[in-house]
Amino acid sequence: MSAAAETAVSMVGITKRFPGVVANDRVDFEATVGEVHALLGENGAGKTTLSHVLTGLYRADEGRISLYGRPVAFAAPREAIDAGVCMVHQQFRLVERFTVAENLVLGDRRGAGRSFRIDPSAVESQVRDLGERYRLPVDPHARIWQLSVGEQQRVEILNALYQDAKVLILDEPTSVLTPDEAATLFETLRQMAAEGRTVIFISHKLHEVMAVSDRVTVLRAGRLVGTVRTADATPQSLASLMVGRDIETRRRTRGPQSGSADVLKVENLWADGDRGTPALKGVSFTVREGEVVAVAGVAGNGQRELAEAITGLRPCTKGTIRVGDELLDHADPRASFDAGVGYVPEDRLGTGVAPNLPISMNLELRSFRNNSFGPLLRLRRMRASAQDAIDRFEIKTSGTQMQTAQLSGGNLQKVVIAREFSSGKLTVLVAASPTRGLDVAAVETVHSYLLDAAESGTAVLLLSEDLDEILALNDRILVMYEGRLSEVGNRESIEEIGLRMAGGAPGSAPLSGS
Amino acid sequence: MNNSLLIVLIASGVAYGTPLLYAALGELLAERSGVLNLGVEGMMLVGAVMGFWTVQRLHTTTAVALAVAIGVAALAGAVMASIHAFLVITLRASQIVSGLALTIFAGVYGLSSYLGNNLNLADQPASHTFSAFFPSSMQKWPIVGPIVFGQNVLVYVSWACVALISLYLSRTRPGLNLRAVGESPAAADTMGINVTAYRYAHTIVGGAFAGIGGATVTLAITPQWVDGITYGAGWIAIALVIFAFWRPELCLVGAYFFGALEALAPQLQARNIRLGPTVLWTSSLPYVMTILVLVVVSSGTARRRLGAPSALGVAYVREER
Amino acid sequence: MRVTVERRLKQPRWLSVAVPVASVVFALLVAALVLVATGHNPLTTYHQLVYAAFLQTGSLGQTLISATPLAFTGLAAAAAFRMKLFNIGAEGQMYMGAITGAAAGLYLGGRGGPSAFVIASMVVAGCAGGVVWALIPGILRAFFKTNEILTSLLLNYVAGYVLTYLIFESESYWRQTKGFNATVFPTGKPLPHNAIWPGWTIHAQGGIAVPLGAGFALLAAVVLWLLYSRTRFGFEARVLGDSDRAARYAGVRVRRKILAVMALSGAIAGLGGASQVGDFSHALDGDPNGLQKQGFGYSGIVVAALARYNPFAVVLVAFLIGGLQNAGNTLQGATFPAGLVGVIQGIILFSALGGELLVRHRIRIGRRATGAAATSPEPAA
Repeated sequence: MSAAAETAVSMVGITKRFPGVVANDRVDFEATVGEVHALLGENGAGKTTLSHVLTGLYRADEGRISLYGRPVAFAAPREAIDAGVCMVHQQFRLVERFTVAENLVLGDRRGAGRSFRIDPSAVESQVRDLGERYRLPVDPHARIWQLSVGEQQRVEILNALYQDAKVLILDEPTSVLTPDEAATLFETLRQMAAEGRTVIFISHKLHEVMAVSDRVTVLRAGRLVGTVRTADATPQSLASLMVGRDIETRRRTRGPQSGSADVLKVENLWADGDRGTPALKGVSFTVREGEVVAVAGVAGNGQRELAEAITGLRPCTKGTIRVGDELLDHADPRASFDAGVGYVPEDRLGTGVAPNLPISMNLELRSFRNNSFGPLLRLRRMRASAQDAIDRFEIKTSGTQMQTAQLSGGNLQKVVIAREFSSGKLTVLVAASPTRGLDVAAVETVHSYLLDAAESGTAVLLLSEDLDEILALNDRILVMYEGRLSEVGNRESIEEIGLRMAGGAPGSAPLSGS
Repeated sequence: MNNSLLIVLIASGVAYGTPLLYAALGELLAERSGVLNLGVEGMMLVGAVMGFWTVQRLHTTTAVALAVAIGVAALAGAVMASIHAFLVITLRASQIVSGLALTIFAGVYGLSSYLGNNLNLADQPASHTFSAFFPSSMQKWPIVGPIVFGQNVLVYVSWACVALISLYLSRTRPGLNLRAVGESPAAADTMGINVTAYRYAHTIVGGAFAGIGGATVTLAITPQWVDGITYGAGWIAIALVIFAFWRPELCLVGAYFFGALEALAPQLQARNIRLGPTVLWTSSLPYVMTILVLVVVSSGTARRRLGAPSALGVAYVREER
Repeated sequence: MRVTVERRLKQPRWLSVAVPVASVVFALLVAALVLVATGHNPLTTYHQLVYAAFLQTGSLGQTLISATPLAFTGLAAAAAFRMKLFNIGAEGQMYMGAITGAAAGLYLGGRGGPSAFVIASMVVAGCAGGVVWALIPGILRAFFKTNEILTSLLLNYVAGYVLTYLIFESESYWRQTKGFNATVFPTGKPLPHNAIWPGWTIHAQGGIAVPLGAGFALLAAVVLWLLYSRTRFGFEARVLGDSDRAARYAGVRVRRKILAVMALSGAIAGLGGASQVGDFSHALDGDPNGLQKQGFGYSGIVVAALARYNPFAVVLVAFLIGGLQNAGNTLQGATFPAGLVGVIQGIILFSALGGELLVRHRIRIGRRATGAAATSPEPAA
């Protein structure tokens, strides 16, 4: 990176408000040509908001933006793209049913793109060229739904490159990649920067920021904390800037009691995914009473199907699931509930709660049958226990009848947790990505609930894509790859975990059948 | 040979199927943009009555009167569709209930009946009707004579429409944009495509097509106006779009198939063929067949990934600025 | 000037009533425009409407005749729509209920026996007829995932043909074969005396006849309300109507629920059909210009939507719309064209739909100023 680099992006005094929260508070940000600039902060710090302001999705309430020295005010994402500012979002903006080529044609506005008649095949050679040049190989004929999440991300990046983006913003790109794929991505980013583009890399992961960036801007609670050169920083210094206090180090210090029984026994489990092909291929493992087993892996390798199988939402084609002495031999959520299996699902607003119904109903979603008098509901009892749960778990709400979807992410998760915990003693708790999208305080709260459950003897199965979370909360680590499980020998070794996430298996034998 | 049951059925199938085809093509366009419009029956009926009215009132040559009538019918259908469009696109109302409201408003118990009776359009033949386009000598040619050359110009125009729409969807940029809007409006919006405009445009054009379909009935098939003259063709058209996997070419096949079913009853009667009890069976046949086809198609589609535009029926709310 | 639409946090009760009322007022205004455009005086038309519906001697009784079937079909629609099961087939289910109810009345009544027993069996038979017809789209939806809107609706046409066939095109059990007029104009066989449903008379306006069916409709409303708000069945139905994934997680047996709710909806509509026979026509009405022209099934949807699917509101709205329908029948002719009823109903439904937005959202008109509170969703960080 040259010494006197030209400023590519300059944002001064950006303020953006939403009802009840100031997402960005007089933030200054500036990135130069040819650099990889990281935007670091916890969930809720305002990183995505700032980038949405830059790319025209949001309009800032105050502040100025300039691009290469000229002031700009994008009214829509399209204007930003036309000016060369492209974003690769966490939720991809791709049309699933189209092919890769068609998606690229869709966004194309220059030159040949202006024509009335289209010919996706003309795009193909360019897709292959770009793919080779930037290490983003993708088949132009493939339809998006056929691609893995990592490949879909490549398409998003290719899209930006096809539009000749000068400023590229990536929002938490590695959450869907294995460590190796992440490393390849970093090389691609460095290559782009070397060509004179500007790469803005949003993350909350310290080690990645250290690995790929030239400079780091840290945000905390909507405010700018500072901008430093990566070379001058250490993970500790960045961490303290990011959090402003000691990081939560409540790591799991006590394992399960010695001699405790196996509570969850899964043997040779096979199950089909939504497309009819096997998603679980002979998974076997056990979880003991009071033990926390963390399952790492990139999304889409069978974690969701595993969680659904154990909680009775997905039938198994082969194998058994045992909870205590109960054999759960057919997919029945009621049977799982009776056996004491709790579930904190990945999609809170989908499986977790019925969004338009009041909180009191959602809190009783599994136990209403026990709270009834024959076919009639005991409404007053339901309302009382709902209020009780709200008090105990400190859920911020305007009343038991408030519509559930109106709650903030953290409070919504509390409702789910409160419901699962209130139904009597939990034998097993399956938690899938329980802290995704939550702010710092909420993450800590959820983690403490999980650990409390383990302390009181519940067998906890944690499935997460967040390596930090896995490392903080485990007695054992398993890794899921393409429907098969393997156990990690050295729990401190990120290399081993990463290797297993990508399908390798050093030394120790995998736990699954063939 | 041209009088054999099969040939006559196919030829009649084409004729009777044309209103279905127009309506289905219109609904296809609307649904491809993500808007479900259940008001097709109502729009067809309004088109039917307004087209008929125009022809009765205009005192000019047949060609001009019919052309204007089709234009008026299209306009009537478009106006009806725009009500639905406003409610579901801008006001984000339930697309299902709004479509039903449109059917009640415009249909056999509503506006079309009101207009028809108020304007005294019942019990009179149309002053001008669509007749066969090609000379009768060509119509006598074996097989293709009655089937291909024995039709009126509306049928030929519908063939052109099928071809044009097919090309539109697969080979043009606006067609690509339309498909994106119906599959993933968020992605389309990010790419700078005006989702709202595409949805409005295609829903309204869909209404115009439905109006033309209705006018086809009163001006070509039964050149008369009767309350509720389409007898549920609008609903069959909606099913047809599903049956055709949202592809125009298959709409044509399906429309003629159902048209043939409709032609079956009168043909059997005319030939004194008694294939079973009565009018009940043959009248119900198109509806029962539609249900059966729907069942077959719906259970397979779920697994086959061909099929409905993903964003069909869902209002698009753009993330806030 | 920026117009923003944001979701309300709480939906105030008064708005749930005010919006439907405002919708009706708005609808009447728009309909007035339609009337003016077609050469009618809206004020006199409306005055005639109200007079014929509620004020004229005998009008309240007439209104009840229209309101009773509307209450049934409205409740049938509400029962299903609340669970996002769009049963458009109430029309056909009503026809089927009329057929089976008439059969029970003719057969059991003909064998003599206490009236109460005959009527009770007509009720059961009517419900059964509606249930069977509703279970067809129900089964197709539950087991084959076929969209119930189209299937239930197409069956309406089939049911209409069956009804016409039984009276007009065959010598069926239901057809009157004796008597002078029998071959000249097909009619249904009249019910024996013990199969005719009694009513009460309120001594006002020259005697208002309250049909037994109206009482059944009220009962059905109460049952429906209790079912949905106080029972496990209702709890599960509401969850399923909101999110089928959450419902599966809650252990709701989805297929059974779909069948049960469709059956419930069909039963109510079928009971309405039996009421048509027992209360009003006293024979099976197969005339294509008779029961089949009334469109009770479709109007029931309007009633249910306007009543926001609340069973008690349905009864009330049914009464009002019944007045409209009654007026339409009474006044039909040159000064009050056919189809006006449908037009007004359609506009009412449109305005109710548009008003729905206001209940759930708040519209803000403001300048794009700094500091002005903006809009809805939680930002992702």
